[in-house]
Amino acid sequence: MAKLKSVFKMNHAQKDVGKLAHALCDTMLKDLEGAKRPTLEAVKCSLDNAIYNSKVGFFTPGDKRVKTELNVSSVQKMARSVFLLDIFLENLKAGGVNTKREVYYRAKGWIKKDPKLRPIDFEVQEESDSIISFLCDALEVYREELNCVANDRGGQTYSQQLIVTENLPDGTKAHIDLGSLGTTPFQPKNRPQSFSLKMKSKIKFCLVVESEGTANTLVTNGITKRNNCIVVGAQGVPSNGVRGWVKTIQDQLKIPVFFFGDLDAYTLQNIYRTLKSGSAASLIRNKNFCAPDVKFLGVLPEDVKKYDLDCYSVKEKDASEARSLKKARDALQNDPFFKDAKNKKLSQVLKWLLKNKIRCEQQALFSVDPKDITVPEKIILDKIKNKIYI
Amino acid sequence: MSKIKTSSTAEYFSKNLQQVGFSSPLKAVLTTLKEAVDNSLDACEDSGILPHIKINISKIGKGSSRNTDLIKIKIEDNGPGLSVQDLPAVFGEYLASSKFGKGQCSRGQQGIGISAATTWAQLTNATGVCVESKTKNMQQAVSMVIDVDIKNNKGLVKKKTSIKWNKKKHGLKASFVIDGRVQLNGDGGLITYLEGTSLVNPHLELDYTLLENDPVSVKRVSDVIPKVPPPTLPHPHTMKLGEFITYSHLYGKISLSKFLKTGFSRISDATIKEISKKNKIKSSLLNLSLPKLLDSDFKKVFEALQEATLMNPQTNSVLIIGEKALEQSIHRIGDVDFFSVVTRKPRICDFKPVVIEVAMARLNDTKGKDENSLQLLRFANRVPLQFDKSSCALTKAVESVNWKAYGLQQSKNSVPSGPYVLAISMTSPFIKFKNASKETVDASEELVEEIRKALIQTGQKLGRYIRKEKKEFDLERKIQHIEKFAPILVNALVKITKAPIKRKKKAELGLMKILGRDAKNAEAELTQAKEKLK
Repeated sequence: MAKLKSVFKMNHAQKDVGKLAHALCDTMLKDLEGAKRPTLEAVKCSLDNAIYNSKVGFFTPGDKRVKTELNVSSVQKMARSVFLLDIFLENLKAGGVNTKREVYYRAKGWIKKDPKLRPIDFEVQEESDSIISFLCDALEVYREELNCVANDRGGQTYSQQLIVTENLPDGTKAHIDLGSLGTTPFQPKNRPQSFSLKMKSKIKFCLVVESEGTANTLVTNGITKRNNCIVVGAQGVPSNGVRGWVKTIQDQLKIPVFFFGDLDAYTLQNIYRTLKSGSAASLIRNKNFCAPDVKFLGVLPEDVKKYDLDCYSVKEKDASEARSLKKARDALQNDPFFKDAKNKKLSQVLKWLLKNKIRCEQQALFSVDPKDITVPEKIILDKIKNKIYI
Repeated sequence: MSKIKTSSTAEYFSKNLQQVGFSSPLKAVLTTLKEAVDNSLDACEDSGILPHIKINISKIGKGSSRNTDLIKIKIEDNGPGLSVQDLPAVFGEYLASSKFGKGQCSRGQQGIGISAATTWAQLTNATGVCVESKTKNMQQAVSMVIDVDIKNNKGLVKKKTSIKWNKKKHGLKASFVIDGRVQLNGDGGLITYLEGTSLVNPHLELDYTLLENDPVSVKRVSDVIPKVPPPTLPHPHTMKLGEFITYSHLYGKISLSKFLKTGFSRISDATIKEISKKNKIKSSLLNLSLPKLLDSDFKKVFEALQEATLMNPQTNSVLIIGEKALEQSIHRIGDVDFFSVVTRKPRICDFKPVVIEVAMARLNDTKGKDENSLQLLRFANRVPLQFDKSSCALTKAVESVNWKAYGLQQSKNSVPSGPYVLAISMTSPFIKFKNASKETVDASEELVEEIRKALIQTGQKLGRYIRKEKKEFDLERKIQHIEKFAPILVNALVKITKAPIKRKKKAELGLMKILGRDAKNAEAELTQAKEKLK
């Protein structure tokens, strides 16, 4: 078999996707020859199969598996899975990469060329996306190991001291000195494990800011000039790339990492928790795609009181806000992350939000002293200094 | 103080035609047609004739009132015809009816409708109705124009002549020229009315031409003339005190006990004895002639009757269309791919005998109508009800059923949607309408519940059919899956594993065996569903 060239180098021993795929297909073929129903098995990636152990620090999969046995209802899914697997194997042979959308169009291209394939045509990208996720779960590989990469989103990084070395697929290396970029951010690719990090001088902390806009403002106003630090814009719910990148910073530089964002249920549950412990939807990937040591710097309930921050009331009449409150209540009851004793303080914040039905945005810090544009930076530094975080 | 004067019935109705269905130019055309067709059908049934009705509605000019057209409505039937003496009474006199207060399941009840149509023609076009009629005893047909003498409530005959009918032995032709406007489709449309009428009258043969449209011919699907059961007497529990006293006036000078026995159902000598003993009603009062009774006497007897436990009225006075006739008739409303009919046994609701029948059909071709909206047809004594849908008992019952359970789409507490026709027929000798124009049936809890039961039965039949359809679709899908996806799966597996052709063929055979077993199971499920449907 031709050697497959994955552009994605993992920290763990890279799996031989070609061998895995061949073995899987051979077993299926043998089953068919014996008129036995072949099955495709995958880890069940959902919250009811997520185990959280604070010592491990992230969600790991439980014993539940999703088993797809061949029958008239699943034959389409199986045919599509094996068809897409073939495309990925060809891609790996050639060393090419594709995004999910590109894979969708490549699949459509093949189908257009061969009328016999028309029955498995994908009407919308979601159909091919779900097959890709299923294949990754079945082979227990990262999507990137199939040379299927995500669009880069979030992770804009600023620092005067950080030097990044990127190991490129062709074996060469690229060196980026972030201090030479001015206020232009460095944006890590979705393969953060291919980066090696160095510090020109000792970096004291890394600050991950929920809003990319606010991260850029802090930098423009001089936070990275006055402090040896790294500032990362998360741009909402952290993508795989952001999570992997923050983990790389945490593991390679061994510096404290703080998250600064809104004080609301959505930020705590969807943004911070995903950054810290991964997500239930990607149980097999969490090991390399979350930063368990990250601390929640704020906005905290005590900041609201201390700095007299402006808040919005959360109205149960508003459908989306009511949903978010319901989700928060569910999280307190069912989410192993919030149920864990080590995260008690975080669950207390959630309870506080449910009780007071208010939310406070990270930008509210700008209201503390409107004359001083550096006031948010001062508050952040004060909180880090006085250990006012969770 | 201004002088008090008495008005005739005709005078009253001529000023209040909106109460009897002439509230707008649109409704005027429909109501005129409806009253004439009702009379023709009733007359044919009374004489044992299979009805054949011809209708022609045309626009002949501009109406004299604002925003109206001058509409000519011609209706011809093969009924028994009316004698020269009866013609002015029927067409020109209010409350002249052979059916008034009779307690029969006939379409017409009071003798108001057709006289109101003549009045409308007279008020808007200064001429009443042109009628031609011939009974089997007449040598020649008679032709006349009839106006309503509004002051004296009498029919006025004009231009009376004898005419020769070539082939027809008996029948009636009526022609109204009125100010109106024509609506063909929709809830108040003429086509909706005619389709509905032919649905609940399988024995009707109908030819109609509406405006410039092509003539339509609806053939009869049953040769059985419905036999309207003999009249029934009212049950005392259905009356109010005032009605009770007014009703007594119809019986002249007979004694109270005789009035109770002959004027009501379910009152016997034993009942009278029991209530007089219990309520201390003296026998002298029972033997007193009705005109001598004081209002307080009527009240005492009436209250005693209300307190008494009386048997429910008999149910043999209701007319049933029947499931077979409905099944035959439902195909006349369009290209139907599924139908379900239910005829409930006659029941007593609010002490009145009632029978509810439901026919539901799914149309293959909705003929330009909105295919997502269900067409609800309501009938009371086989007359379509086309206005004021929302407050009608029949609509309320439809809204109370959970149609989603039977595979239909439905918003909460509303009529379901889809390319369906849902026809509900209620027949009873005593239908309680909300108004004189008979557009809405009053919704009592008991009646709504009875209609609801009929609808649930219909829904269950429909649900079984939809489930069978789903199984058929499943089987088809499963067979298609085998043919479509199996070769792709095997080819991809062979390509990845680089397996030889021998393995490929073996795998294909194995796959066909597996999927063939699934298809067999699906077929068995379908057979089971079909059995259930039977």
